[in-house]
Amino acid sequence: MTTIETAPPTPPVTETKRVPGQPDMWVFVIFESLIFTAYFAVYLYYRARHEAAFLAAQSHLELWLGVLATIALLTSSWSIARCVQTARAGRYKTAVRDAYLTAGFGVVFMGLKIADWVHQIHLGNTFTSSQFFQYYFFLTAIHFVHLLIGFVVLGVLLYQLSGAERRSQEIVETCATYWHTVDFLWVLIFALLYVVR
Amino acid sequence: MSLPLRDDPKRELWYAWYAAVFFYTLYSVIFFLVTHVQPPGQPWYTPTQVTHWFAHYHNGLLIGFALIFALGGLSATSIALITYSIRRMSVSRAFAYSYLILYAVSAVPGFLFICVAMTAGTFRPDRDPQLQQWLYDFGFLSFSGTMGVFLIGSLIWMTAILLDKNRVFPKWFGYLNLCNALTEVVVAPSWIFYRGVFAWNGLIAWWIDVFVFGIYTGVFLMLLRNMILREDFGSGPLPELPLLARQAPATLELAS
Repeated sequence: MTTIETAPPTPPVTETKRVPGQPDMWVFVIFESLIFTAYFAVYLYYRARHEAAFLAAQSHLELWLGVLATIALLTSSWSIARCVQTARAGRYKTAVRDAYLTAGFGVVFMGLKIADWVHQIHLGNTFTSSQFFQYYFFLTAIHFVHLLIGFVVLGVLLYQLSGAERRSQEIVETCATYWHTVDFLWVLIFALLYVVR
Repeated sequence: MSLPLRDDPKRELWYAWYAAVFFYTLYSVIFFLVTHVQPPGQPWYTPTQVTHWFAHYHNGLLIGFALIFALGGLSATSIALITYSIRRMSVSRAFAYSYLILYAVSAVPGFLFICVAMTAGTFRPDRDPQLQQWLYDFGFLSFSGTMGVFLIGSLIWMTAILLDKNRVFPKWFGYLNLCNALTEVVVAPSWIFYRGVFAWNGLIAWWIDVFVFGIYTGVFLMLLRNMILREDFGSGPLPELPLLARQAPATLELAS
């Protein structure tokens, strides 16, 4: 007599997929991306209509300043991603250090942006001097407001990480999602204003 | 079985909600179709063109703003309901009172000034065209250029929603408040420009803003309706909507 050994039936493995942080924050990400898409569409439409004037004004921008600002913000995105990973691993001291590092890179970006504005104003390029600089100051300023809110968000993140009783990985990830959005929007602004010629 | 209206404890809340919906409908019809102050007139009009503008829309401006002066007070119902919603949250009452005061004060430059200025311009058509242009500018600039006064109110509502543990509103609506607040900042350049996308009737300063505000208003009216349906007059978390409560817990989690 042969015995057939059968393995006990294994329950189907259900992998729960979820977005990082509160799903609610993604409403902000999507909605804000749509609003910026509308701003970009308006910019590109008028740029196509007055290409020569836009190109002439655009040539006043210092590409290297834009590149440095982009590197600073991309690096801040890297450090906030590290912050999420270290918080997930329970290494909260390192996570706090990474959050401060993110804020530091954010401050560097702010400094570079202000230097860029001051430089342009010294050259006579202001909010009212040409169509291109209307968009330049508008897009960079509205992004700057997002960045300032980002510092408040980093404050929330640090508050969460600083007390064992209130550490919420979901809120840490939600804050990081906001910061990445600020970075993502800047990359698009940088590409449109500085790179596309 | 639903209670007859006179015994329904939510009666006053429903009155306020229907009054708010009526106000926003009336506001849209009067501003867009009757008075034609939305979309706004051209910012570059000369004094003579402004005088013609007042003459062209004379009857609409008089009838429309007469209705606004008589019924515009209904705007208080939506502010009252929002204040009620914040009082129902697990946050300090300071949020509710700050919101109430800020929105009541903001309505003066953001809503009433345009009505007064345009009515004054319409009632005195033979006045010096320079003065008519001043009223025209004052009306549109006060309406569009002062949207920023609503900014702090929106941020207070957002903060209350994000801190609330009673689940009065979903968190995503808190973030939508931030989107709305950020577009309110964008109107500020209309003080500087007479033409282009940043003028008071421009693509960025007006059309995109109004589109966002329209979505935001529709959403908060629906969420206020849901809040009334869910209201149990307690002080703890609001129960789910009856329809959602029957669904699987996983779905519930997502919905909240």
